Amino acid sequence: MDQLDGNLIDTDVLVVGGGSGGLMAALSAKRHGPPGTRVTLVDSWLIGRTGHTAFSNAWTIVALPGDDIDGILHEIVAGNDGIADQELVRQSLIDSHARLKDFEAMGMHFGRDEAGRYKRRPTRGLDLARVLYPEGGGLEFAWKQRLALEAEGVQLIDRLFITGLMRGASGDRIIGAVGINSRTGEFNVIKARSTIVATNAITFRSGFVRDITGTGTLLAYRAGATLRNAEFSYVRPGTPKFYFEGITFAIQEGASWVNAKGESFMQSYEPEWGDEADVPRIARAMAMENRKGNTPLYLDMSAIPEQLREYFIQSKVRWMDNFFRKLGDEAKTDMFGKTPYYALNQMTKMGIRTGADCRSDVPGLLSAGLAQAGCANHFAGFHIGLCVGNGWIAGRSAVEDLDTAPQPSLDAAEVRALHAETHQPLNEQGKAESDRILRDLQAVMFAYDIGILKREDRLQNALERVSTLSDEFKTIAAPHTHELVRMKETEAMLLAARFILGASLYRTESRLSHFREDHDQRDDNNWLVWVDLAEGGNGPAFSKTPIPTPYCSVVLPRRKPSRLAARQSVAGV
Amino acid sequence: MIENIELEKCTGCGICDVVCPADVIHMEPQPVATEIKGLRQTRLLPVIKFREHCITCFSCEIFCPEHIVDVHPSVKNRPRPW
Repeated sequence: MDQLDGNLIDTDVLVVGGGSGGLMAALSAKRHGPPGTRVTLVDSWLIGRTGHTAFSNAWTIVALPGDDIDGILHEIVAGNDGIADQELVRQSLIDSHARLKDFEAMGMHFGRDEAGRYKRRPTRGLDLARVLYPEGGGLEFAWKQRLALEAEGVQLIDRLFITGLMRGASGDRIIGAVGINSRTGEFNVIKARSTIVATNAITFRSGFVRDITGTGTLLAYRAGATLRNAEFSYVRPGTPKFYFEGITFAIQEGASWVNAKGESFMQSYEPEWGDEADVPRIARAMAMENRKGNTPLYLDMSAIPEQLREYFIQSKVRWMDNFFRKLGDEAKTDMFGKTPYYALNQMTKMGIRTGADCRSDVPGLLSAGLAQAGCANHFAGFHIGLCVGNGWIAGRSAVEDLDTAPQPSLDAAEVRALHAETHQPLNEQGKAESDRILRDLQAVMFAYDIGILKREDRLQNALERVSTLSDEFKTIAAPHTHELVRMKETEAMLLAARFILGASLYRTESRLSHFREDHDQRDDNNWLVWVDLAEGGNGPAFSKTPIPTPYCSVVLPRRKPSRLAARQSVAGV
Repeated sequence: MIENIELEKCTGCGICDVVCPADVIHMEPQPVATEIKGLRQTRLLPVIKFREHCITCFSCEIFCPEHIVDVHPSVKNRPRPW
């Protein structure tokens, strides 16, 4: 008999997830709300020190006064092959300068020249957009935001892993969430009038320091939300030996992708952009080269001038600095010698469908960060750029909803059911086995002819294998809280895999990172749409939603970039 | 992956536990030498409890005030697409 035992927290706005989307959503809710508005931010680990943002270099696309915002919007939309919410992207660009000033008011420093103007770099795959980067990378970026939230009176709860969203007594809107302390397992119920899910995307634990499982997206699905963009992913070049956050810089400074024959191959796949093409296009070319038998593939950094090489070893990101310092000469040998690369670090672009106001289809539920499906290709700098943008919008919308949201009323039966469901896998006699199932799942989803080069029969086969793994998953148990959290994450990844494969079967054309060998052309007549999925009674039901194009055509040609030297610039104060 | 914490130099501050994003390090009571034979004494000290889940982020090493945590930069068990 499941005995209910736990804490009840009451708040106005609940934000789930402490990355750049969640941090900004919490700040925005506090600033837009009337005095006394209660804002609560929860994260499964330590807010400001863990999560994707904290371990990034915090590159952020910022449009300074005088920048061509519509031009940047056009190239982001074109670089997404149309799969972008133009309204949301544009508003994020418009707001980005004000957010930069917010960050500076929190004590962050962005690189400037002697005259006090911002030092800016172009980013891979875009021509007009410029990134700024804070000193101290993501660890400082996230921590300073945490301190600012504390100063503004946001309630921060670390180590709270959310396991379910609540619909409450009336059942017609989301009224908060339940979760467990990720160390002690203690049960918590958080009653909220607006709930913002900002739990990032799903990586299947593929990458270095990207232990991101994006469980919130799947909880939203179970609570009735529609998901979007499951067929798109971010497959990044990686190596088996080390993790390198500087590929964009390296290519800008002269590095080139070469195959086993020593041929520079990107030009033949991307004549306009060559090595400067963005990630999905590089990943596809790498997979093609593998199929031709031209692997191993390398990032040839020999063209990078000697005086710049130390830069790549001495990273500005603290964990990377430790990493390369400890590797010592080995790192130099590997980086500037021959280390094989392949396309790895899959992060699904699946997110919660919202309007440009970040409200989902379910009343009371909003979304921000990469959990929100605003783009299918974020480039370097627009992962955080868009998260900051949609976080700000989500926080404001959540506060606007407080005016009309009824006082939430808990449903005791629902809370008991969620409590029982959360603890169901616990069994002290059990053996931790979720890692084994995850490894099998990775083997299915990361195969290049599933994740990068897709075809109907192989996708169907993968779907069957995921189904078998899901059945096997139902038989395992969690001997302790640590494994209980891992199990919940694995369960979400199994569900995500099903959605990714299903959406990949549904979109019978090729676009962006979704490349179907059996439908290898982009088909704007039939597929200038978002693929949405929602619970259809017996699993996900897929549908098409036409993409609004209020600002620009999505069939724009991609611009050929001007030379790097011309694109490095200083601007603004 | 985390290799070692020099427990003899550890002050027991618990920062390594708090900053770990993968729940690898747990502060737990550990037996220590006592002044009088026959008495048992424990101190809260870090235990590398789930080493296999370390994501090599170096946070424990970076934020340890005593500089006694050692993380090795090797990356193991990365899935491969080919």
